[in-house]
Amino acid sequence: MTCEVIQKGRSGVINPIFTCQPAGAQYASIGIKDCIGIVHGGQGCVMFVRLLFSQHFKENFLIASSSVHEDGAVFGALNRVEEAVDVLLMRYPDVKVVPIITTCSTEVIGDDVDGVILKLNRGLLQEKYADREVHLIAVHAPSFVGSQVSGYDVAVEAFVSHFAKKSEPSGKLNLITGWVNPGDVTVLKQLLAEMQVDATVLFEIESFDSPIMPDKSGESHGSTTIEDLTGTANAIGTLALNRYEGGRAARYLENEFGIPSIIGPTPIGIRNTDTFLHNVKALTGKPIPQSLVRERGKAIDALADLVHMFLAEKRVAIYGHPDLVIGLAEFCIDLEMKPVLLLLGDDNTTYKNDPRIKALQSGVDFEMEIVLNADLMELEDRIKNKELNLDLILGHSKGRFVAIDNNVPMVRVGFPTYDRAGLHRHPVVGYAGAIWLAEEMANTLFTDMEYKKNKEWILNVW
Amino acid sequence: MPFHEFNCSTCIPERREHAVVKGPGEDLTSALPLGYLNTIPGSISERGCAYCGAKHVIGTPMKDVIHLSHGPVGCTYDTWQTKRYISDNDNFQLKNTFASDVKEKHIVFGAEGLLKKNIIEAFQAFPEIKRMTIYSTCATALIGDDIGAIAQEVMEEMPDVDIFVCNSPGFAGPSQSGGHHKINIAWVNNKVGTVEPKITSDYVINYVGEYNIQGDQEVMIDYFKRMGIQVLSTFTGNGSYDDLRAMHRAHLNVLECARSAEYICNELRVRYGIPRLDIDGFGFEPLSASLRKIGLFFGIEDRAQAIIDAETARWKPELDWYKERLKGKKVCLWPGGSKLWHWANVIHEEMGVEVVSLYTKFGHQGDMEKGIARCEQGALAIDDPNELEGLEAMEKLKPDVIFTGKRPGEVAKKIRVPYLNAHAYHNGPYKGYEGWVRFARDIYNAIYSPIHQLSALDISKDEIPADKGFITRRMLSDIHLTPEIRDSSEMRQYTGGYDSVSPLRERDYPYMNESKALV
Repeated sequence: MTCEVIQKGRSGVINPIFTCQPAGAQYASIGIKDCIGIVHGGQGCVMFVRLLFSQHFKENFLIASSSVHEDGAVFGALNRVEEAVDVLLMRYPDVKVVPIITTCSTEVIGDDVDGVILKLNRGLLQEKYADREVHLIAVHAPSFVGSQVSGYDVAVEAFVSHFAKKSEPSGKLNLITGWVNPGDVTVLKQLLAEMQVDATVLFEIESFDSPIMPDKSGESHGSTTIEDLTGTANAIGTLALNRYEGGRAARYLENEFGIPSIIGPTPIGIRNTDTFLHNVKALTGKPIPQSLVRERGKAIDALADLVHMFLAEKRVAIYGHPDLVIGLAEFCIDLEMKPVLLLLGDDNTTYKNDPRIKALQSGVDFEMEIVLNADLMELEDRIKNKELNLDLILGHSKGRFVAIDNNVPMVRVGFPTYDRAGLHRHPVVGYAGAIWLAEEMANTLFTDMEYKKNKEWILNVW
Repeated sequence: MPFHEFNCSTCIPERREHAVVKGPGEDLTSALPLGYLNTIPGSISERGCAYCGAKHVIGTPMKDVIHLSHGPVGCTYDTWQTKRYISDNDNFQLKNTFASDVKEKHIVFGAEGLLKKNIIEAFQAFPEIKRMTIYSTCATALIGDDIGAIAQEVMEEMPDVDIFVCNSPGFAGPSQSGGHHKINIAWVNNKVGTVEPKITSDYVINYVGEYNIQGDQEVMIDYFKRMGIQVLSTFTGNGSYDDLRAMHRAHLNVLECARSAEYICNELRVRYGIPRLDIDGFGFEPLSASLRKIGLFFGIEDRAQAIIDAETARWKPELDWYKERLKGKKVCLWPGGSKLWHWANVIHEEMGVEVVSLYTKFGHQGDMEKGIARCEQGALAIDDPNELEGLEAMEKLKPDVIFTGKRPGEVAKKIRVPYLNAHAYHNGPYKGYEGWVRFARDIYNAIYSPIHQLSALDISKDEIPADKGFITRRMLSDIHLTPEIRDSSEMRQYTGGYDSVSPLRERDYPYMNESKALV
């Protein structure tokens, strides 16, 4: 009975779990109101990321490119940034926040983005946009470092450190959600509202789920404002739900402004949601109300209907963002399931020291493997050639063919989930997320039983 | 043909000559929009990069190949599972993608060793696959890795494998079009002529510039085989690597997308004397004319005509059913490249819709010339459109539907314009006679969607039609039709199935058996 943590043996990637840093930085940028990022690099670095976001949300998001062509790659392309900023500001009068997100090409050629921002601040912005609040923020996101996960983390820190400014204490709580869905933000806000906690949600992306309006005004955008970001320095505390997606910003606020921070755990499942509320209580002094006792009870009730009869002993593989994967694994264990394989898709060397991973290593009572720097071939190979014998896969849509070709039922969770409808509307965090996850897993297993004629009659009297 | 100035772009005068309105009686060549110029930074253009033009558009549809990108993981991930180029080998190339996963230390010390390990690992992971394409990316092009030398080294060590290298980093050109060119030339330079094919027919073609979106290639190959034509290779949709090495033995290059693949046809003409015949698989008349031309080239017009007659008889009544209901509907024809001229005229002729605007993301002036020549008077033609211009055009033109990409389709949705995916299709294939009916069916379904109709209602102030529990598409589409047309027994709605392609894989071809017997 061991839990082994290993590294993928191959040097390359076959069927990746993550994309690169600029995508994560772009995801953070669309969470801010009146913000259009400029990605400094080739056009594909934006075009495909916008496509990816639109695949996941079935919505459109605005991100610009500096459109570096061959001449820029040879002679330097900072002039493209200058032009991009001007063109963007001229045509989008509401834009106030413009992160300049670097990529592999512009980091390799050594374009001094910080320098050009200084130049633009002293030149263009003063000369042409003097009566307008504009913030240019360098986000260094070379694609050959980290992954989309660290790109998000780096960008959140860049935004917070640019804006955070000490003034009067606000009494508010900073809530750094990490890379979540609109459905998650809704649930988190509800939990905080029940506790009567006034919080600044970073990033407030509930409005990514936008309507078609009769007057055509519907638009998906982030809702975190400059004031929200500025005020983070005056909060009573910071809760960063995900260690690897916002943890840096929480530490920055603690080190720079003495804002006490609690990083993690991701509130997936009953136990982690309990801890989340405990942490909110610790930082704000607010009690946990009866209404949440009831809500929790409903979730426990829903789970009790499922665990012993259907979920117990089910063997699960989970891949995706590290905080999500660990949270899901912990929840699965509480549900009596066996998360036998966890795949974390980048080369972050600190994962192996994560206390949650250490706890899994010392605590699980079945054979479990955690693969770092993993790709989806690690999953497929174990199913095909190493008798992993799975009942269920939890992961995002890029792994769909592993599930399909190997006849393993799969619950889509994480980012992106473009091959299922509307999943961004559903939460995985909080008690509501616990219900959704458990019932989605159960229903997926039920459908699979029916298609495979595998004791499908058992559901007759349930 | 006056240039059209967008209000949103008055502040960027460089845009002024990128859009024109086709005026009455004007000489087409007097005022074409500018095309294929550097993109204006920050304009929020829809263009992609030269890497994706090479790897994603042209390279990856090749089916029996490991497609490896040498660079950080993002280029690979981002161009994976975003297109619908299927293949008859269980979609190997759709399902699997490979990245050398270049990290900071490789940027500093070089990534050639990493690449070599990657190549060997990839072949080991899929021992049945012996062919590979490798693409450079921005990062590895800038650090100067010699991918060709590494590939050569591996081929010497592993004699049963063959590797193709395409150096087309993302920055190499104003758009994906730069990558189309680079991979065309690299393939003809390095791979054509390295395999000798078995010729089994008197009529041998390469089918070029066809990417098997939702099965387009398989539809067209079906016609060719019914004519007894041996298709030596397809460049590249559902195409086989080794078949494409034998392109030099064809009698004729049949070219579909002249934007992305005319380069290789032109080179094959110069180097091997193979003539180029441009064809068009979209629309009954263009397709019929194309089959006739191919028949004429080989002296088998009767075989072509037999197909045309049979297919037209089968599907024309269904196309006409939709044409009656689509007449006068306004369309923005906003694809990437060649569809702007493939579709501009024929959707008007055969489906009755009015093309009020056309644009191209990565097309050149030649594409615009063809598109503008074929579209209706008054149409607005835009080169390298950006987000605000697209919105302004839709506000002004009020199209009933737009044909564009997935993400721009989401923009249209919010201003209550339905969209059809012009790149990947909604429910294709759209090539072939049946495919063209499927396209008409999809347009009809989009325009007469009851849900889209509901989206206009403001329940806070409009009168709510509370007497209706539902509305059918036909209640909306047939309202102005005469009884003769509405109740016509000759015309009918589409009668094909959900999957029109898989059955083609089981077909038998008498002429092909005959020619095999001759051999």
